Amino acid sequence: MTICIQKDLFDIEKIISNLRKNKPTIGAVVSFIGYVRDYNKDINTNKLKQMELEHYPGMTEKALVEIELNAKTRWILEDIFIIHRIGTLLPGDPIVAVVVASQHRKNAFEACEFIIDFLKTDAPFWKKEISDQDEVWVQNRVEDNRKKSSWNLENE
Amino acid sequence: MFGVHEKYIETEESKNSPDKLLKFLIEKEQGAWVELLNSKDSIRVAINQEVSDWDAVLTDGDELAFFPPITGG
Repeated sequence: MTICIQKDLFDIEKIISNLRKNKPTIGAVVSFIGYVRDYNKDINTNKLKQMELEHYPGMTEKALVEIELNAKTRWILEDIFIIHRIGTLLPGDPIVAVVVASQHRKNAFEACEFIIDFLKTDAPFWKKEISDQDEVWVQNRVEDNRKKSSWNLENE
Repeated sequence: MFGVHEKYIETEESKNSPDKLLKFLIEKEQGAWVELLNSKDSIRVAINQEVSDWDAVLTDGDELAFFPPITGG
């Protein structure tokens, strides 16, 4: 399990090949990558110039470890890699990657979705969208909370 | 929201929950703390970097954080 919070761009190919190194049991790798859109039509139609990403150092890492451990108790997984960028990002830039490896695809698919759903609501990151006209802290989406709760309901 | 990332607060032992501490800060400093109280329903509380609640017990040296809804990913 690896957690990485960094300003720099990441190389998804390198992450996957490192993950697979010396692990012939891995039969499936699922990755989710989130990118910066050039505008957020839900709240603001101004064209995005850049995005600022802040986090709460210390708590972020703890929250991500917790999410990884929860995923590992639900599914049999070979490895998990979560990387999230902070600082200034431009439209089209990758923000986050969740890479999950397992023996068979089902576990990796489900765990990857689970991890990104919880990351969205539990890991303390905040986005500010900057256009030529304004600077707006992004509001959380009801849909994200609903998505997270749907996992909990299945649990009961 | 508050223009500060962190702040050291000395207070009496009786202000030993996030809720009581916020009321103490409002009495003392007003300003952005009042705004925080007004948006209390959407603000989350963490103690020592773990999500907690407004009535949790604070002890000496605890790190308390108030933060808006999370929007990463």
